[in-house]
Amino acid sequence: MSEPILSVRNLVVEFPTRFGALTAVNGVSFDIDRGETLGVVGESGAGKSLTGAAVIGLLEPPGRVAGGEIVFDGNRIDGLPPEEMRKIRGSRIAMIFQDPLTSLNPLYRIGEQLVETILTHVDLSAAKARKRAIALLDEVGIPAPETRIDAYPHQFSGGMRQRVVIALALAGEPDLVIADEPTTALDVSVQAQIIQLLKRLCRERGMAVMLITHDMGVIAETADRVAVLYAGRIAEIGKTRDLVHNPQHPYTIGLMNSIPSLDGEGDRLVQIPGSMPRLTGIPDGCAFHPRCAKCFEACLSAHPPEFSAGQSQVFCWLHGEDAPHE
Amino acid sequence: MSDAMVEVRGLTRLFDVSKPWLNRVIEREGKKFLRAVDDVSFEIAKGETFALVGESGSGKSTVAKMVVGLLAPTAGEIAIEGINLADKGRAGDLQFLRRRIQMIFQDPFASLNPRWRVDKIVSEPIRAFNLEGDEAKITSRVGELLTLVGLGGDDGRKFPHEFSGGQRQRICIARALASKPDFIVCDEPTSALDVSVQAQILNLMRDLQQEFGLTYLFISHDLSVVRHMATRVGVMYLGRIVEIAESKRLFREPQHPYTRMLFDAVPDLAMSGRPHLSVEGEIPNPINPPGGCTFHPRCPLVNERCRQEIPQPLPVSASIVSCHAREEGRRQT
Repeated sequence: MSEPILSVRNLVVEFPTRFGALTAVNGVSFDIDRGETLGVVGESGAGKSLTGAAVIGLLEPPGRVAGGEIVFDGNRIDGLPPEEMRKIRGSRIAMIFQDPLTSLNPLYRIGEQLVETILTHVDLSAAKARKRAIALLDEVGIPAPETRIDAYPHQFSGGMRQRVVIALALAGEPDLVIADEPTTALDVSVQAQIIQLLKRLCRERGMAVMLITHDMGVIAETADRVAVLYAGRIAEIGKTRDLVHNPQHPYTIGLMNSIPSLDGEGDRLVQIPGSMPRLTGIPDGCAFHPRCAKCFEACLSAHPPEFSAGQSQVFCWLHGEDAPHE
Repeated sequence: MSDAMVEVRGLTRLFDVSKPWLNRVIEREGKKFLRAVDDVSFEIAKGETFALVGESGSGKSTVAKMVVGLLAPTAGEIAIEGINLADKGRAGDLQFLRRRIQMIFQDPFASLNPRWRVDKIVSEPIRAFNLEGDEAKITSRVGELLTLVGLGGDDGRKFPHEFSGGQRQRICIARALASKPDFIVCDEPTSALDVSVQAQILNLMRDLQQEFGLTYLFISHDLSVVRHMATRVGVMYLGRIVEIAESKRLFREPQHPYTRMLFDAVPDLAMSGRPHLSVEGEIPNPINPPGGCTFHPRCPLVNERCRQEIPQPLPVSASIVSCHAREEGRRQT
C-alpha cells in the first residue's frame, strides 16, 4: 500500500490562558489513505473540529499546535510559515464548513467567488476559469449552471448553497477535503442528497475526506474508517462496520446505544451518566473513567495506551492484560 | 372523541411579510402573507405523547406556540379540556388552564435568565400562581423539583452559566413542572444536546410522564427521537399535516409519499446497505407555495389532479392521509 495522504502523530492543541495551558486535543494520531473517507465523531467539546482546523492550519489564535506532527503527502506541514501554508490550503487540502450561509460572501455572485478561487490556485485565463466554474457547479448538481453562476448566495436554498461551498472546495482539485459538519445545518432530506454527492465525488475524483460530525448515522453512510474522540483523545479507531456493529470502548458502546433507533420499539434508552468534562477539569487517568461503569484501578492512574480489540484499536485499560475478568 | 385533552380544529396562522407601506405604494404591490400553518386539525388524548415532525419551515413550532397561547391563531380554534383558548368570556377558567400548560424550549442557553439564580427561575411559576403559602414551603418545593429532575438540592444557589447544556435542560424541565401542569409542549427539547445527553433527557421526560400522567405535544425534526417518544405522530409539510397515525403504524407502513421520502432520507445506522430512493428537491419557499398538493413538485406519484386540488385528510388503513395518490390507489412504478 502506498503511503497515506495524511498522517497525524501525537497532535496536541493548546490554548494558553492566565491559569496555564488548556489542552483541547491531546495526543491524537491517525492516518488517512488516498481516496479514503475517515469519519471523526464525538460530542461537542471532544476536539474534533480543532483537529481538522489544526490539519489545515486554521487554528484561531491563541490556540496553537503544541506538539506532534502533521505529515501531508510525505512533507511535514505543521509549523510551516503562513505563506507556504497558503499554497497548500485550497489547492491540496480544502475545507467545507458547517454553515453554508456564513462561508459564502453575500456581496459577490457565486461565479465571482468560484472564479477567484480557481484563478488563485490554477493558471488559467478568466474565460476558461468561468467555464471551469460552470463545470464545477454542474458536477455538484446545480441545475442550469450557466445561468445560476450569476446568482447571489441568498438566491439559493440551504442545500444548493452547501453544493456551491462544495464546488468551491473542489476548485483547486485538492487531494484531501476536510468537511466539518457539512450536513448539520441541513434538513434530513437535503442531508441525504449532500451525503450522496460527497460519496460520488470521492469515488469519481479519488479524493480523501476527513468527515467531522457528531452524527453516527452520517458516518455509517459515508466513512470507510471512524475515529471516536472523547475529551481531546481518540477513544477508538477502526473500520466503520466493525465500530458500528461491534464497538469495543465503553464510551463507543454507550454512544451507539444511546441513539434512538428507527426500527426499535420505544423502550428505555441506554444512557451514559454525566457529561463530557470541561477543558479545565479533565480527570486524571482515562478521561472517561468517572462516567464508565467498568472502571477499575488502572483507569484512575494513567491514560490507557493503544490496544487491539477485534478489528479496531481501542484506548481502554479493559483491553489490557490487567483487566478484571468478568 | 370526548376524552381528548387537547382539540385543535382548522388551525391557521398567517404572517404578514409585506414590504413597508411606502414601498408597496410605489411598487404597486399588495400585501403578502406567509401561510405558516394551514388548516391543521388534531386531537391529543390524556396521557399520550403526540408528536409533530417535519423539516424546517413546515410550521411545527408555530403550532406549538399557538397551542400554549404565545401566538394568536388567524383562524381555527384550540380547546383544552373543552375550554376554548380564545374565549375571553371565561377568564377564570383560562387562568386555571394556564397553570396547567407549560412549555419546554429548544435552546436551554437562551431560555433561562442568566442573571437569575436557579432557585428563583424554578420558583417563578410557584409564585406567579400562588401555589405555596410561605417562603419555607417554596424553598422546599424547589429543592424537591431539582432532585426530581436529577440535580443536586443545593444547585439552586448557582447561576445558569455554571451548568452544562443537559443540566440546563433539566432546569427548564423543573421550571415547567413547578406549576404542576398536565400538558407540556416540548419544542425540540433535545436538538441542542449531544446524543448521550439527549438519551438522559428523553428518559427523564418519559419517567416524569409516567409518574405524573403528563400529556406531551412533542415537536421534533428527528424521526428516531419521535419514534422513541411518541404514541401518535403527525407529519407536517409546508404548514399542513399530511399524515397522522399511531407511531408504530406510521413507522411500519408510512402511507404518504412525503413520509416515505423522509424515512428513506434518514442515514442508515445499521449499515444494512439498503438502497436509497433518490430524494428530489427541497421544501419550496412558503411565501408562494405550489398550488394543489404542496408536495406535488417533489412527489413521484404526481398527476394532474395533484397540481389542481388540495387533498383532504382521509382514512387509509388506520392512518389519516392527505393524498390523492393514496386515495386513488396509485402506486409507484
